Amino acid sequence: MNYRINATRAIAKRKIFETLISPGFYIAISIGLFLGYFLINGFVSSIDSSGLNYSLNSVYELIARFLSGTFGETFVVKLFSEGPFLFALYVSFIPFLFYLAISSVFKFGFEKKVGAIELIAYGPADGTAYVLASFVKDFFFTVIYLLILLVFFFVSALINNLVLGPMFFYSLLLIIFLSIAFFAYGIIASILTDNAASGIALFLGIALFFIIVKMGSFAIVSGYVVSLSNVFAWIVKWFSPLFYWSLGLSAIGYGNVGLYLISMLLNILLTVALLIISHFVLKVRGVRV
Amino acid sequence: MKRVVVFLVLIGFLGGIAFSDVPVRKEELIYSILAFAGKEYSGTFCRQDADTIYLMANVDNFLTVRKTLVYFWPITQDWKVDTDALNKPFEGTIVITGKKIGEKKLKQVRYTYYNAPGEYEVNWKVFTGDAADREWKKYSKMVDAYWNAVEKYYQAKAKYEAELNKLTMEITKARKAGKDTKHYLKILNSLKEPKEPTNRPKYYVKPVEKAFIFNLPIGVYRIKFINKDGKIMEGSEKKLVVFGKRRSNGIGYDVIPGDKWTRPVQSKTPASVLYIDGTTDLYLRPFYQDEFNDLYYNKMIKNDSKGNPNIIKWVRIQQVPKARVELIKKDGSSVVVLEKPYYVEQTKGSSLGYRIVPFDPKKYEGRSPSLRAFHIPISRNIKYMKFRLQDKNGKYLKGSDRQIRIIVKSNLSFILFILALLPIGIMFLVLAVRSRKYYAG
Repeated sequence: MNYRINATRAIAKRKIFETLISPGFYIAISIGLFLGYFLINGFVSSIDSSGLNYSLNSVYELIARFLSGTFGETFVVKLFSEGPFLFALYVSFIPFLFYLAISSVFKFGFEKKVGAIELIAYGPADGTAYVLASFVKDFFFTVIYLLILLVFFFVSALINNLVLGPMFFYSLLLIIFLSIAFFAYGIIASILTDNAASGIALFLGIALFFIIVKMGSFAIVSGYVVSLSNVFAWIVKWFSPLFYWSLGLSAIGYGNVGLYLISMLLNILLTVALLIISHFVLKVRGVRV
Repeated sequence: MKRVVVFLVLIGFLGGIAFSDVPVRKEELIYSILAFAGKEYSGTFCRQDADTIYLMANVDNFLTVRKTLVYFWPITQDWKVDTDALNKPFEGTIVITGKKIGEKKLKQVRYTYYNAPGEYEVNWKVFTGDAADREWKKYSKMVDAYWNAVEKYYQAKAKYEAELNKLTMEITKARKAGKDTKHYLKILNSLKEPKEPTNRPKYYVKPVEKAFIFNLPIGVYRIKFINKDGKIMEGSEKKLVVFGKRRSNGIGYDVIPGDKWTRPVQSKTPASVLYIDGTTDLYLRPFYQDEFNDLYYNKMIKNDSKGNPNIIKWVRIQQVPKARVELIKKDGSSVVVLEKPYYVEQTKGSSLGYRIVPFDPKKYEGRSPSLRAFHIPISRNIKYMKFRLQDKNGKYLKGSDRQIRIIVKSNLSFILFILALLPIGIMFLVLAVRSRKYYAG
């Protein structure tokens, strides 16, 4: 066990270094920050004497129309009730989450194909240590990126006289646990497939499936559709990180801190379960193509 | 040739009228619903194709079963009924089945209701059977008494105006003839203008009607209508969702900007922030609010509407009586603001604007205030302030805290742009160091 921890630590360090010297990491951060910048600027220019007036900014008008049409007016009111940061947080974070997860899946597939992992497995480490290191690296950069976002939003709030708001901070914490479950799904996807392309395709398929089911059950719909999507969502919700994330958000909406903590714990449990499954699959399949 | 063209255009025009879209009216069995929506009764109907009825728990809701014509109105994108053409109510029994109540049979009862005047806006009273008839008779008597008083008032007023005219003419005549008018003036001073009757009923009682009264605990039920022949009416079987409030007595505010007093916005989410540009003062009207499921509430108000089943929303119930707003400024000092009447005055000139001024009963005699609210003075120099609500006993009301933030577009936004670009700068630096090391080693 100890040797695996040491190996995980050593590989994770190497992976963190590799990410830090690759241009993709910086581009992903910059894209996220720019998205946040435009959303905050748009919000500020949409304020009039009565509050937020979406029609003053064409981008916000489009966003508000889309969100109201899909999730209802109440959703939009709640989303912007504390300011632009809750929305900006998710919009800025999602591209980075996918960048991290997809790059890990790609790298695993690629290194497996060229035999790099097999080579490591003959040495002091095994496949599990490799995927755990990948997971640690993703977790590390998620926290770093969220800290960068926090600083960026804090400066934005100071400059524009805005408030970050309690819901923003609660979401910030929830996002970490949502991400780790997605990274675990990324690991499963890369282990189950033989090359990088199919690994990415499987991961995107899983992620999109959860997103569509969640959006379907969350969208404003008429009687028949709501019953159907709720039944469907009920079946898959136990495996979906988005379900536990939305449970946490709802808990905060109701002021139930206990349930909020439980939702994070459930996402940790899901992650651990996925990692254990990955370990056994890796044992059976090995790291050879 | 010209005639042919004109003829063809005319034919095309008439054809357009003849074949224009007319909503297709379909005969359907509907449930006509008067649902209690937390603050008032709201009318809707459940079409034959709709599978679920939504009602609030532990309050009286009134349902009738009738046959009418139903059509879709594309302009407003909703379903409507044509009760003028067909409106046939059915007598019978509604059978409700559910885990909590087993099987329950409902019979139609005569009912009426009204919102009793008082300190609160919401004070509904429901009467059934003989009590409903008694209440309706009592109300009818009040209405009759009022209209009798109105009639007498107009008669007295006509008589008063005739006497006034007569006296004015006689005074004018006497003055022209150089006679003494003292006698006439004495009579004129003794004339008293009749006063308008004040016994107008302060509430409206609905005429007595027959309906099934649904007052059920929270749960999901099945209902069906059995007609007088003991047969289940086709299309009458529905699912019934009876729901309750998630939380109650939250505090919301109507926020009325001084320059858009006809378009108030609502601040319903506790801990929400009011971002404004600070160009005009605000007027606040606090209210109690309850929290309901978005989909259930919307469907209760209008059965064919949409909603989000996973979102809970606050709904305005009634104003907070005799409240006070405590305004807390940035330096920590606080001011208690009281509710005052205001009058909306047209501004003079060609600007066609208006301004909100304190209501002066002497200046605006015979008129009533345009709004009653708490005035919050706003200036673009103030960055932020907080406020919260006290009830009539001076107790702070939970969930009433709000922040006002004045947003003035900053010149420092370029800093954010530079911050967003910074990672790209670091990337070039890293790439430069990498290539340098590569070539060096």
